[in-house]
Order: sequence, then C-alpha cells, then structure tokens
Amino acid sequence: MLDWSFIGRYASFFVNGAWMTLFISVFGIALAIVTGVVCAAIQTARIPVLRQLVAVYIEVSRNTPLLVQLYFLYFGLPKLGFVWSAEMCAIIGLGFLGGSYMAESMRAGLQAVPQIQRENAYMLGFNRRQTLVHVVIPQAISVSTPGLVANVIFLIKESSVVSAIALADVMYMAKDLMGITYDTYEALFMLIVTYLIILLPISILGTWLERRFDYARR
Amino acid sequence: MTETTERTGRDDTIALKVTDLKKHYADAERNVFDGISFEVPKGKVLVIVGPSGSGKSTLLRAIAGLEPIQGGTIALDGTVIETGRPGNEKSGRVKRSEELRTKFGMVFQSYDLFPNKDVLGNITMAPLLVQKRKKDEVEREALELLERVHLADRAHAKPHELSGGQRQRVAICRALILHPEILLLDEITAALDPEMVHEVLEVVVELADAGQTMLIVTHEMSFARAIADRVILLADGRIEERSADAEEFFTHPKTERAREFLHSFDFVRHRDAQAERELREFDAQ
Repeated sequence: MLDWSFIGRYASFFVNGAWMTLFISVFGIALAIVTGVVCAAIQTARIPVLRQLVAVYIEVSRNTPLLVQLYFLYFGLPKLGFVWSAEMCAIIGLGFLGGSYMAESMRAGLQAVPQIQRENAYMLGFNRRQTLVHVVIPQAISVSTPGLVANVIFLIKESSVVSAIALADVMYMAKDLMGITYDTYEALFMLIVTYLIILLPISILGTWLERRFDYARR
Repeated sequence: MTETTERTGRDDTIALKVTDLKKHYADAERNVFDGISFEVPKGKVLVIVGPSGSGKSTLLRAIAGLEPIQGGTIALDGTVIETGRPGNEKSGRVKRSEELRTKFGMVFQSYDLFPNKDVLGNITMAPLLVQKRKKDEVEREALELLERVHLADRAHAKPHELSGGQRQRVAICRALILHPEILLLDEITAALDPEMVHEVLEVVVELADAGQTMLIVTHEMSFARAIADRVILLADGRIEERSADAEEFFTHPKTERAREFLHSFDFVRHRDAQAERELREFDAQ
C-alpha cells in the first residue's frame, strides 16, 4: 500500500521539478519550431548547399539519442572551449532533436498542398507572398498540426533525459527522493502523476488545435 | 437548358487570338500541339472538343499562362501578351503581371476552393488582395454573384460542407468577380456526379447568354452543342475541324475524323454500326 503522507511531505519537490521540466521544454520546443521553420523553408525552396546541410542535420539529429546529444553538449563541447550551463545544454539539445522532427512535419504539410491551389492563386493574380501567406501556409498548417502536436508531446517526454546532466527536473527529483527515502513506489507514482498533469492539458489542447485546423484534411 | 445559338447585342471585335501556337514537353518526342491558330470574338463562346490526350487542357493551360509555349503568339484584346520561345520547356508558369492574370478567369476540373476560407472568403479574396477594392462593395458583388448561381444562402459555408456542383459554382463566382475578359473552363463537370452536372452547366449557359466571352473544353457534347458559337475539334495536337456554325458541326461534320469522334458519343448509333460491321464480317466468312 502506498504511503500517502509521502505526497504531503515531498509535493514541493515535484512542483519544483515540474517547473524545470516546463522551463526547458518551452524554450527547447520554441527553438525546435524556429529550427523546423528554417529547415522546412530551405528544403521547400530547394536552396542549393543549404539544402544538403539541412539533410545532413536531419539525419544526424534523428539518428542519435538525445542522451548522447546532451553528453556531447555538456561534456564534449567544453573540451572545444564552449562551456554552457546545464539548462542551456538541455534547451539546445531539445531544440536540436526537435528541430528535425518539426522540419519533417512542416515539410510534409507544405508538400501536401496541391499544385492546383497554387495555380488557382496564380490565375487570381496573387503575388508570391500572397500565395504563400493566404493559400499555401494555412493549408500546410492544417496538414502539419497533428504531427506538430505529437512532436511537442514527444519532446516534453524526452526532456526527462536531462536529469542525466544534473538538471533538477521532475525525473531528477523522483530519482533523488528514491535514493533518499527508499519510497520507490510513492516517488514513481508521483512522477507519473506529475507528467500526466503537465501532458494531459497539452494533449487536450492539441486535439482541439487538430480539430480547429482540420479544414485541409477533410 | 436554354438554346443559345442566336445571341444578340454582341461586339464582334476579337477578345483572344492565338496564332501558330506550339507546345512540347522536355524529353518528349512529339509536340503536344503544333501550329494551332484560332480566335475568340468578344461575347462569343468557343468550345474545344476532342478525344482524351488530344491536348485540349494543355492548350487552355498555355493560354492561361500556366504552361510555357515554344512557338506562336497569344493576343488579348489586340495586344500580344506572349510569344513562344523554343527551349523554355522547363521554365514553369509564365511571368505575367497580376493585372494581366486577372483578365483570364479559369475554372479547373477539380472543384478546388481554398479550404481555409468560407464561400464568401473564397470569392472576395482576390478582389480585396489583388485589386485592392473596397470590402463593402466586393462583398455586395459576391453576394449578387452567389444569388445568380443560387447559392446566396451558403455564403458562410465552408468548402467541405458543399457538394461538388456547389463548389464548382462558387469557383465560377470566384473567377467572375475579377471581371475577366475571357473565362477559361477546363472540363468543369468531368469530376462531378451526373446529377450535379446540370446545375453547373445551367450557370455557364446563363453566362453565355449574358455575353461572357468563354473558351470551353468539355466532354459534354449536348452542352457543347447548346452553348457553342464556334467549335474546334482537336486531335493529336492539331485542329482537325473548325466551324463557325456549331449546329452544323454537330449535325453535319465535314471531316471523317469529326464524324468518327461524334459517332463515339452516340451510343445507339455506335452499337448499331458495330452490329452491322459484325454482320458484314460474318457474311463475308
């Protein structure tokens, strides 16, 4: 049976950990979205050289574990003279990993806009910017939304890895409390509950967004 | 449907003149079309018919500026707007000014409205963004157009809430609100369920009666017969027959190619002819 008094005693640890998880997730995801927009734009516009660089980045980012990326940033880069805080490494690590996933979702959305929509815009006299802003991007967003929402949830869950570089996120707190109190089940229970409290509202918001932007998928 | 062979009150100046148009795709052996010339007088309807793969849609797309041409000229209202250039096969859509593009209204086969806008938004977008007209005036005109195509009550519906026929009628309004010199209709009923074909074609016939210049590609022969002032039969990229008397073309075609083509649409006669042929072959044995 769980020792419910554990919750009262250590809830503040989980609240603090949750704030750290949210802090690095928000900035990491923001960085991932910016990276994704830039990469998707380069790929869609087929800019030579940059396009090949983006392709290499996407493969490296998707085919190496986040833990390895974090170790490289936190333990490897100082050898090259770049010393960053653990928070900075976590945010850049999440942004580096998420950027490729975001780019792929956005590229899929842009490619899904039928050619005939651009032709319609051309016939109606739209210039390139008007075509992009009023025709292509709204439809690409519609197609990309489910993928983007899934990426956001994926990245928040992946952030649990940052405890490996001594960042006091919610995972770190749970492991710490297990070591101190030996209340393993209680700590794990609180860990799961904390992640659900963070992720369920985001999941519900994501479902709402998917419905709100479903016009090009009907 | 109204018979429209005798329309009155029309100006006989030339709206569109196509001269010696040539088109081929990169790496293709033969030309899509080779040396096509025709005119569409103002207020008249030219219908292009022909078997699948004859180059009808490509011709319309080339006139619209969606495909580059490798030879010949396209003139609108007496001004040459495009001259073909060999070697530009891969250059994509033609560079035309925004204003010039709005002089061609195009409606495609697939009923493809902008899914992120409602019906009114679809129609008003171009006049607001491109022609910078006032919102009140544009919306009033859009509603009048919707009234004409019997869709005034669907002004705020989203495209996915409409049937194919309704979407196609909205697409026609979207093209018309820019007051195009010529309306290009590319097999606009080909993707529709049979019961929706009539509601769309009726709108087009009304437009013709109102004096809208149109260039139409269609497989609907009864519609073509009802609406055409002039007819062109395109086959293998060449004009096989042209007629300034549409009724004459459909009843007494001059060329064997036209007879063959029209014959394939007449199921009863086609079947009878086939039976007769088989009987002759049987007798010969």
